[in-house]
Amino acid sequence: MNFYFITFRSITAAQRGERVLQKKGIRCQLSRTPRWMEEQGCGYCLKLGRSRISEAVGYLREEKIEFRKIYLQTDSTNVEEVKL
Amino acid sequence: MTYLDWGATSFPKPPSVRRAAADAMVRCANPGRGGHAPAMAAAETVFRTREGIGEMFDCQPEQVIFTSNCTHSLNMAIRSLFHPGDQVVITGFEHNAVTRTLHGMGIRTRVAGKKLFDWEDTLYEFERALAEGCRGAVFTHVSNVFGYVLPVAEMSALCRERGIPFVLDAAQSAGSIPLSLKQLGADYIAMPGHKGLLGPMGTGILLCGKGVEPLLYGGTGSESRNPDMPAQLPERGEAGTANVSAIAGLGEGIRILKRIGIRKIGQKEETLIRFCGEELEKLGYRVFRGPHQLATLSFVPQMDCEEYGEKMGKMGIALRAGLHCAPLAHESAGTLETGTVRISLGYSTGQEDILRFLRAAAKVGP
Repeated sequence: MNFYFITFRSITAAQRGERVLQKKGIRCQLSRTPRWMEEQGCGYCLKLGRSRISEAVGYLREEKIEFRKIYLQTDSTNVEEVKL
Repeated sequence: MTYLDWGATSFPKPPSVRRAAADAMVRCANPGRGGHAPAMAAAETVFRTREGIGEMFDCQPEQVIFTSNCTHSLNMAIRSLFHPGDQVVITGFEHNAVTRTLHGMGIRTRVAGKKLFDWEDTLYEFERALAEGCRGAVFTHVSNVFGYVLPVAEMSALCRERGIPFVLDAAQSAGSIPLSLKQLGADYIAMPGHKGLLGPMGTGILLCGKGVEPLLYGGTGSESRNPDMPAQLPERGEAGTANVSAIAGLGEGIRILKRIGIRKIGQKEETLIRFCGEELEKLGYRVFRGPHQLATLSFVPQMDCEEYGEKMGKMGIALRAGLHCAPLAHESAGTLETGTVRISLGYSTGQEDILRFLRAAAKVGP
């Protein structure tokens, strides 16, 4: 179980990110950000697999889509923030 | 009924627009407020409409703020740029949505360009006003009374050269003339969703070349612990629940326009309005017509214009009489006391509609 969560300030930003990744053929899932990941309270995130995370983050930066943080979930209890 | 009041709203709405709006009422919950399927369906519907508008007006989806109407958009734009005491240049053809907002905020206005259909005069006066120290500009693209298409590309360039912020009111042009936020370099472009863009009433759009100051404060579904409105677009300008069903209808309106082609719609409207003006003149009417005219035409009958409008209504012709919420435009044209009768066309207006109107106009007489 290795998932990454890219968190965004708003649903619109997350949707923009989703579109960019979809166009590049990177599968991701748009959902609410787990409460503890979002210190400002309420946000949206993209959940995606491990294989193309660096590429995905590169595309978001290239398109100037602002995201907040990236988290890696390795099992049901272990989630950590990562810098890419 | 022959509907020639498209300047007020598009009517009737296309069947697919009605279906899209109705469908959203049973498919969509509150967008950006939850993660369940109906909320996500709503968010997708709203975002698709944003994308469609962004493609049409050459900007990113997040630069598209949904409002209730063009007046709402203009208020947000003007309040974001100007402060009481500022002097702002406007043209002689502005709607009350612009003039009342500026007046209400205590912003001084310099009116530049009062000659109908005269680009040279408009540009000369506009440039002079900019040179004399105006803090910004707010101008219409097309007069809602006379259909005068202003030289907005040149006016925008004059503002850009001087670093003067400006707002474009595209109430009557959106859906009939192609527009690019990027090319114009406007700070804001305001437009209704329910006129040329064929969406339901209660929809408006503000295209943002920069950030906005919110008109309303409240929930956005994000950054809930932040006591201020979020800084980013479009959420900063969209407090409270969106009009999702209407936005879904607007999205379908945008798709219809893309299929037909905006340029084609504008050309047809221009041809029909020219023909109508010429024929009305042959009937002895005093018609306001000229070059750079799109989709809208005003004339002054000998009888009271409201009485004329009522007579036409009884004959099955829907048009509009009076001052059309634009006393400044009437002052510029010298029709403030009489008002005018206005016909305005839309994407589905055909030659047969104009002929029906002309037959009725011949019957009633000038």
